[in-house]
Amino acid sequence: MQNLSELMHRLIASRVEFVLVGGFAAVAHGVTQVTLDVDICCRFNEANLMRIQKAFADLHPVHRSRPDLPLELTPEQCASLKNLYLKTDLGIVDCLGEVLGVGNFEAVLKHSVEVELPYGKCRILDLDALIRAKEAMNRDHDRITVKYLKEIKKQQSQN
Amino acid sequence: MPKKNDKAGMVLKEASPAYGVSADSDIDLSLLRDNLAKTPWERMQANDDALNFAESLRTAMEKRHAKP
Repeated sequence: MQNLSELMHRLIASRVEFVLVGGFAAVAHGVTQVTLDVDICCRFNEANLMRIQKAFADLHPVHRSRPDLPLELTPEQCASLKNLYLKTDLGIVDCLGEVLGVGNFEAVLKHSVEVELPYGKCRILDLDALIRAKEAMNRDHDRITVKYLKEIKKQQSQN
Repeated sequence: MPKKNDKAGMVLKEASPAYGVSADSDIDLSLLRDNLAKTPWERMQANDDALNFAESLRTAMEKRHAKP
């Protein structure tokens, strides 16, 4: 059972410093394509990474590239990690230290908007930055997403 | 819902050519506008529903193919 919304809920409840980026951010903006995972850009320091670990502790989190390795972060790992790719019982979460086309966490934070969800506030990469990020990725499905995002921007400017 | 057409009477919206499709991007605008009327939270939940429905279809097809 996938539940990407619940993964978001847990990140917010655990006070993880993050910005929602990627396909789920595009969904939040209104793109009608379905996405399979949650991509976040977050501050890569020990305190924040430990909050992520705590948020998913009961969801059997493992490293996506090494499913035999449960998520058991050490201070040494926290100091050296640039990205963290996780698989949990409720879905995949990719934690990124920076976003191509936008920059590091501070730059991503600067280009984010606050959205009110039922369980708290969340920051989401803004439309223009998300378009830049998707254009920078330039995979087939990213190009389609860019078309949607540009149309959403057009619709919003008309309203 | 059927839409009134002066010449042909009641027709389905799907019967009209290129209904609500953006000319320059092939995007279904009616679908997009419906989605934009939702809150971000509603859109996220719709994504989860679609994922789980797709998964249930995949499982059903696998069971069907597994039958002798």
